[in-house]
Amino acid sequence: MNEHSLKPVIEARCLSKWFGEVVALNNLTVSIDPGVTGVLGPNGAGKSTFIKLALGLYAPSRGEIRVLGEPPRNNYRVLSRIGWCPEVDHFYDHISGFEFVYWLCRYWGMSPRAAETAAERACEMVRITDRMDDPVDEYSKGMRQRIKIAQALALSPELIFLDEPMNGLDPRSREEMYALIRELGNRGISVLVSSHILYEIERITDNVVLLIGGALIAQGRVREIRELIDRYPHTIQVLSDQPALLAKRFAGEPGVFAVETKGSAVTIRTLTPDSCYDALNALAAESPDWVRSIECVDNNLQAVFDYLTRKNAL
Amino acid sequence: MSPNNTAEPDILWAQRGAIQPGLLQQFRASVAHSFIIMTRRRRFALAAALTFLPALVPIMESFFGRSVYALMASELFTRLAEKLYIDLLSPLLGLFFATMLIAEDVELRTINYILTRPIRRGIWVLGRFTAFLLAAAPILLVSLAITAVACSVERQGFVLSNFTDLKLFFHYVAVQTIALAAYGAFSLFLGALTKRPIVYGVLLIYGWQRVAAFVPGVVDFLTIQKYIDGLKPVLATQRNLVEIQTALGTFQREVFAVGAVKALVVLLVLIGLFLGASALSLRTREFGGDKTAGS
Repeated sequence: MNEHSLKPVIEARCLSKWFGEVVALNNLTVSIDPGVTGVLGPNGAGKSTFIKLALGLYAPSRGEIRVLGEPPRNNYRVLSRIGWCPEVDHFYDHISGFEFVYWLCRYWGMSPRAAETAAERACEMVRITDRMDDPVDEYSKGMRQRIKIAQALALSPELIFLDEPMNGLDPRSREEMYALIRELGNRGISVLVSSHILYEIERITDNVVLLIGGALIAQGRVREIRELIDRYPHTIQVLSDQPALLAKRFAGEPGVFAVETKGSAVTIRTLTPDSCYDALNALAAESPDWVRSIECVDNNLQAVFDYLTRKNAL
Repeated sequence: MSPNNTAEPDILWAQRGAIQPGLLQQFRASVAHSFIIMTRRRRFALAAALTFLPALVPIMESFFGRSVYALMASELFTRLAEKLYIDLLSPLLGLFFATMLIAEDVELRTINYILTRPIRRGIWVLGRFTAFLLAAAPILLVSLAITAVACSVERQGFVLSNFTDLKLFFHYVAVQTIALAAYGAFSLFLGALTKRPIVYGVLLIYGWQRVAAFVPGVVDFLTIQKYIDGLKPVLATQRNLVEIQTALGTFQREVFAVGAVKALVVLLVLIGLFLGASALSLRTREFGGDKTAGS
């Protein structure tokens, strides 16, 4: 464990970035500790902008960002310790996968022989050795994704940014990717993975940063984020033999703002889930046919994410 | 992706901290990569073929120009070296190759890989520029040499074994190389700064420079051509006298000549400025977005 491992790998303070009139990131203050962290958010949430600010590709419009303790823009000390796999495929023309990784290693300052070794090993790591001498133009989407990851891994960085790395991968490759990222984390490499699919992040890490509309919605462990539900309308689904009566019973309750019935299912949306659960439990004790089962449909992170996304979209 | 295979990654991770980015290695990487990219393009072969075309002129002329009007070998060589190689082909090769040295990375967005590497922007730009010179200068040199040989065959007044003529040849080689460097640096700068560097390059090099040469006053000091002319051998007496033919008559304008040393210094300063500005542009511009290419 080196001196940096105890400090946050990324610190943003009042960070904003806008392009003309479009605000991509709005007053973001966040601190990301070493380890594997997922940056979640729908398209346009500001994930890629945040990563590009952390990479120094963008200069903050306001506020500041520090990566490994220093501002990253044009900072060669920081850049020598990080790797990046971009979301979109960008390659040189007429170049093989191996050459792509090789030249990017050379730009890092490696000798030709060291770059060759590093490129070969990186290609091996992402299992593309047998096709590494083929032109990138002939690669499938998944193979392009792998070669992009290879160039990020080739230099054994301390911090790796993976922008939507699962895009275009087949199910087997995705599983391998999950395992690889977890393995990187186990080896002490800090990894920042962006995704708009919560399931992917859940497979990789418990640490998440939730961005929506360029703002930080939540940060912490999945469990902690789930507790945010208590601050927002909570969705409870009740199976009942008397759905109409149950719906009528809860329609006027304080904190309940929506009740829907569909067959025997009653969906209650409430801002006061605790009192709602108390009332349902009491009702279940008095009249079991009114409440056959209670299910919190927000129990999955995807639901939280969907909810928060929906709420912010409105 | 084989996380279970711990042997390879262990070796890989063991490298961490052992590699210190070396400036010389980075420069060499930039030169070699750029050179390979350039020479793999079809347009490289096309440009090379175009560059060799002037060598046909003395050969054709020796076949069809046997008359009292036939040019002397030295005159023919001087005309070809100045008008075709220095004034036309040097900027053309600059536009062909140097405009794309940075602009192509911006267009393909591979620039982001470079900018997230710990390579100094100036080193990268200098490497690309050097690769351009290494690719383009030999083509021009060989073509000029062939032209010189072709001029001296079956003619009088220009023999490469003669010391004076050889000196003249090398003088033109040097001027041509400096012209190539100056136009290359300018084209590279346009590529780093604008979205359509070739269009701007054609307008400025073949448009503005021609216009400025005829505008009275000292406007022509704002052209690269002015200083390149200052480096040319003092052979043609009319070089510093510009004739403008109009419907009203023929006018002449006085041209303020620039000494060779001053011209060389100015050109070297310009090359440095263009390269420096290109590197600065890489430091200050943002290339991360999908709509930033060349914007």
